[in-house]
Amino acid sequence: MTDIDLLNGLSPERAAGLMALGNRLLLTTGSELFHLGDAAENIYVVARGRVRLTLPMEVRGHEENILVEERSSGQTVGWSALIPPYRFTLTASAQLDTAVIAFSREALTSYFANHPDTGYAVSLNLSSVIGHRLQLFQAMWLREIQRMVELRCA
Amino acid sequence: MEMLLMGACLSIFGLAVCCLAFGAATRDSGNTVTVAPALEKEITKAAVLPARFFVDPPALPVAARNSVPIEALLLQIENHVRLEHAAAECFLESPNASLLHSRTMSALVN
Repeated sequence: MTDIDLLNGLSPERAAGLMALGNRLLLTTGSELFHLGDAAENIYVVARGRVRLTLPMEVRGHEENILVEERSSGQTVGWSALIPPYRFTLTASAQLDTAVIAFSREALTSYFANHPDTGYAVSLNLSSVIGHRLQLFQAMWLREIQRMVELRCA
Repeated sequence: MEMLLMGACLSIFGLAVCCLAFGAATRDSGNTVTVAPALEKEITKAAVLPARFFVDPPALPVAARNSVPIEALLLQIENHVRLEHAAAECFLESPNASLLHSRTMSALVN
């Protein structure tokens, strides 16, 4: 439980209280957890296996789901459930038999209202997850721009 | 007197032939002006493209790229994303310009 990024800094009791809100879901290889544009009601923590996050891209006239990120045990997916407008901005599917713990937005927000300290700690952890994604893709984007400039100037 | 008249007639005839020739030449150049844009494009293209005798047209690499099976291309893209991800992670661990623009072995960009 200590390896779950959303629970960083929480005492074992608080972490257990939060985990009790979750529902375990089993995904078979290739099955979809959520789809781009769907209403985001749940946030997920990967308990076992691996989740593939993709975005559609046109390759030779066909729409293909292109890998954007992979999430493994202890990592959070689907944080759009806690960020307005509550729509998934990626598609998530299981790369292998995978177990995730689903937390509904409704359950979390009412729990945080009663346990503000836990809510604060989870919000910080969530900010860290989102911030890391932002920094990572900022760097990846700049690398692509650099390559584009090199191609133009070649 | 007769000689003089004959000379004058020949001169007038010569002048008429010259005028006709000039008129025909001017008409031709007018036609050329009307087709000039199309010709101009061709001339510009010819000027831009370097002369390549006995060399295949440059469309060949594109065709070769298209011959890569789509599954292989998707794998290349996936591999590229993973490598870019890893490179970006390295940069975030120790942010500096050289790590930001470090090279990878991605087949997509090499």
